[in-house]
Amino acid sequence: MSTGPEIPPDWRAEFEAAARRPLAQRFRYAFVRTYKPVLDDARFRSFESMEEYRQWCEDHLPDWLGYGRV
Amino acid sequence: MAAFEYRQAEEIRDAFARHGVRYLFIGKSGAIILGYPDTTQDAHIFPERTPSNGRALVAGLRELGFDLTDPEAVAIERGKDFVQLKNGPFDLDLVFAPDGIERFEDAWRRRVVVEGFPVCHPDDIIASKVAANRAKDRESLDRLRSFRDYWMQHHRA
Repeated sequence: MSTGPEIPPDWRAEFEAAARRPLAQRFRYAFVRTYKPVLDDARFRSFESMEEYRQWCEDHLPDWLGYGRV
Repeated sequence: MAAFEYRQAEEIRDAFARHGVRYLFIGKSGAIILGYPDTTQDAHIFPERTPSNGRALVAGLRELGFDLTDPEAVAIERGKDFVQLKNGPFDLDLVFAPDGIERFEDAWRRRVVVEGFPVCHPDDIIASKVAANRAKDRESLDRLRSFRDYWMQHHRA
């Protein structure tokens, strides 16, 4: 059951087009790769808590990457 | 590093199945598997945090070609809340404690399986993005909610 407002027609058309594509093709369209400064500069990172991870993102990543909390 | 490919997702699915790893695709990568048309850079999985699953996950990751040192393997086996892997054939984030989802078991019960890929239910993907409250998620939430509505209309059990 729909719980939100009406689905905008242009979005519905996009969802229907995607539904007609095989998953492998959706992958080709969906996954892109660009260099993300700082984030991509270490081979491994781990954080004890999500709060620690979120804080690290806010302290170290450029704002324009969008990882900061609103 | 090239973009994440369908073949690599299949390798995750098959290697993790061999090792008995319990996990779910989550985040935008999960939504994309469900049919959400958008772009993303990273694959995220939500593994169950138990000692046996942690050991199976490390074994599966090593089989996939991730070059894990012993301390890194221990961090994964312990199930630290967030682990970012860029030391393998593709980038992968392990999210053991996604915001907005209380227990793995709850998400597992609600999971959706697409071509053998276990994926979080759209409601869980949305809940985690709402709880994370990041700028990059805010921008896509309305469209993701619309996709959830579309998906629910077409995937009723």
